[in-house]
Amino acid sequence: MSWELHDVAIMGGGMMGRSIAATVAREGLNVCVKEVSMEAAETSKAELVRALDHEIARFGITTADKKVMLSRIRWVTQYDCAAECDLAIEAIQEDFDLKSQILIELDRRMGRENPIVINTSTLSITELAAKTVHPERILGMHFIYPVSTTRVVEVVRGQVTSDQALEKALDFARLLGKVPIKVFEMPGFVTTRVVLPMVNEAIHIVMEGVAEAAEVDLALKLGYDFRTGPLEWSDRVGLDRVLNWMQHIFHENGEPRFRPCPLLKRLVRAGLVGAKVGQGFFAYDVNRRRLDRLEDDKPGLA
Amino acid sequence: MKILVLNSGSSSVKFQVIETDLERIDKAEDLTLVVGQVEKIGMSDSRLVISVPGHKPYQAYSEILEHRAAINWVMNTLVDPEVGILSNVHEIEAVGHRMVHGGEAFASSVLITPEVVNEIEQCSVLAPLHNPPNLRGYYAAHHTLPDVPHIAVFDTAFHQTMPPHSFLYGIPFQLYKKHSLRKYGFHGTSHRYVSFRASQILGRELSDLRLITIHLGNGASVAAIDHGKSIDTSMGFTPLEGLLMGTRTGDMDPAIVPWLMAMEELTLHQVNTMMNKHSGLYGVSGISSDMREIEEARAAGNQRADVAFRMFSYRVRKYIGAYAAALGGADAVIFTGGIGENSTEVRRMALENMDWMGLEFSEEHNLTHEGGEGFISTEESKVKALVVPTNEERTIARDVIRVLEGVMPTFEPPETVW
Repeated sequence: MSWELHDVAIMGGGMMGRSIAATVAREGLNVCVKEVSMEAAETSKAELVRALDHEIARFGITTADKKVMLSRIRWVTQYDCAAECDLAIEAIQEDFDLKSQILIELDRRMGRENPIVINTSTLSITELAAKTVHPERILGMHFIYPVSTTRVVEVVRGQVTSDQALEKALDFARLLGKVPIKVFEMPGFVTTRVVLPMVNEAIHIVMEGVAEAAEVDLALKLGYDFRTGPLEWSDRVGLDRVLNWMQHIFHENGEPRFRPCPLLKRLVRAGLVGAKVGQGFFAYDVNRRRLDRLEDDKPGLA
Repeated sequence: MKILVLNSGSSSVKFQVIETDLERIDKAEDLTLVVGQVEKIGMSDSRLVISVPGHKPYQAYSEILEHRAAINWVMNTLVDPEVGILSNVHEIEAVGHRMVHGGEAFASSVLITPEVVNEIEQCSVLAPLHNPPNLRGYYAAHHTLPDVPHIAVFDTAFHQTMPPHSFLYGIPFQLYKKHSLRKYGFHGTSHRYVSFRASQILGRELSDLRLITIHLGNGASVAAIDHGKSIDTSMGFTPLEGLLMGTRTGDMDPAIVPWLMAMEELTLHQVNTMMNKHSGLYGVSGISSDMREIEEARAAGNQRADVAFRMFSYRVRKYIGAYAAALGGADAVIFTGGIGENSTEVRRMALENMDWMGLEFSEEHNLTHEGGEGFISTEESKVKALVVPTNEERTIARDVIRVLEGVMPTFEPPETVW
């Protein structure tokens, strides 16, 4: 790496922000996570501790690793920490106005060579970057849930993103242990654009009564070697977010294949948005373990 | 000749300056001038500790982001008029580097040339956690000291003499050929040093002796040394095989791995970490990876600490028996490493009632042994048991001299035709 990367600022300590923070800290970098309030910061930290404890129970890390990682992460409520950072990444919800506001704050504080990464699967990098004074250092990265184990990340160039910013983002992605896929800005990029129509189709199948949700998932899981079926995947990402993405892409390109299935809308309106509330297409316990798994969907030794 | 010995890890560099030459090696009069290390490389609060034997250690803190800066810091400290021991860096006439994995390419310590660097890089696939930082240490030291010879000393080289019937695994042969997938063994410098020292203590030639050397530290391994040549060792393709260790499983049925991956839905990373960092003394006892703490808990009546302790000692004992048979009888059993040098209880459990093989354990010697070298078998015992503190840095410094003087032995593998 031909540039110095030691301090990373993360805007937002939600699921995505925490997950990125943990990965960055694990690679030996210092991280500051900016939250909206002290209370939110405390929650974010408590959730991260819980996730790390879970990973210890799964043997992925040791208690010493956890301690070292936590020692490298600090939670703050002001933007000032970004001033000392070599790279910033925002990880808040998919909301254009909120994201552009954060970009303006970061752009004002950070050295102009330092890249600012927008974490988005659908929003226009170019349009967001246009709100700043130095749009050439702004680009997108799309991490895929679960961030810690999914090896791919899409690195998204906006219209005016510089080569230097792109190179730095590629370095950052590799440092996180990810394989970067370079994409030019277009709604949905590669992964979301391909996966959403498939998810939508799976939901249509359930709505039409062609097959049970659990069997739709199992068919794809076993048939095409998916780690998780499309419906459980949607439950885990959050049906509200999946709906939000579909609506956004549908709005952008008008393609009917992105028009959200009425069943998806109905579930979201009922608040049954997936694993985080315990119910979506399937039921989950408080540890987000799926409860109603089919017998054939259990791990076996075959 | 003053030699800088480096052991570079991913976030640390351990170093010693040792004064030695052929005459000193012969008389075991090598002088360790300074011992130290740089810790937490890559962080803003890296620490350097340096101590001259007999003096108070000196500590300093600084932001050291990579190995080159760490080596520079070490060199600057060594020539510092207050805490250093050199008047200028040119007093260092050669550098010895510890390299973990030499694969099948290195059966000896060698002068590092561009071709050698290339070969070591190719071995990195076998030791992805160790060889790259070892090499980073070399690049950094070569940058600071470009005009002196740099010598690589491999953990695996000493075991290259193992015959195929002990180094091959019972898997399809083409997998060995394709991936060089075989037993390599580690701790080579330690097994070599203590076997050599034991021969001196016994007053016999190494080429006359059948020895079982037992290195018990955080990692642990046993070697069967037949007339100076390693013919078998308990660590394998990686340092995971063999004895129970602080956090590593040691020997187990390999079928456990796919079974657990399926039943617990573990990823490759998780199952690897489980075997390397969540197992061994720590995993079984649930208390600690440190034998001293296991012994304390056991003394206090903790059952799981007791069983972890017994597993540890039992496996040592089992390997002694196995290697005594492999060697066709042994002349001495040698304990080294932190646990081997200090745990009277592990040594007792491993060695008592070994009269069947001619080894009469002396509880008295065992209990009165206070560090340093010494016997823990009775005077009459046909097979001797000894404690010999290891000194890997000294072996590295000695190899630097041997390579430069052209007297470095090669641990040639037996000839094979396939």
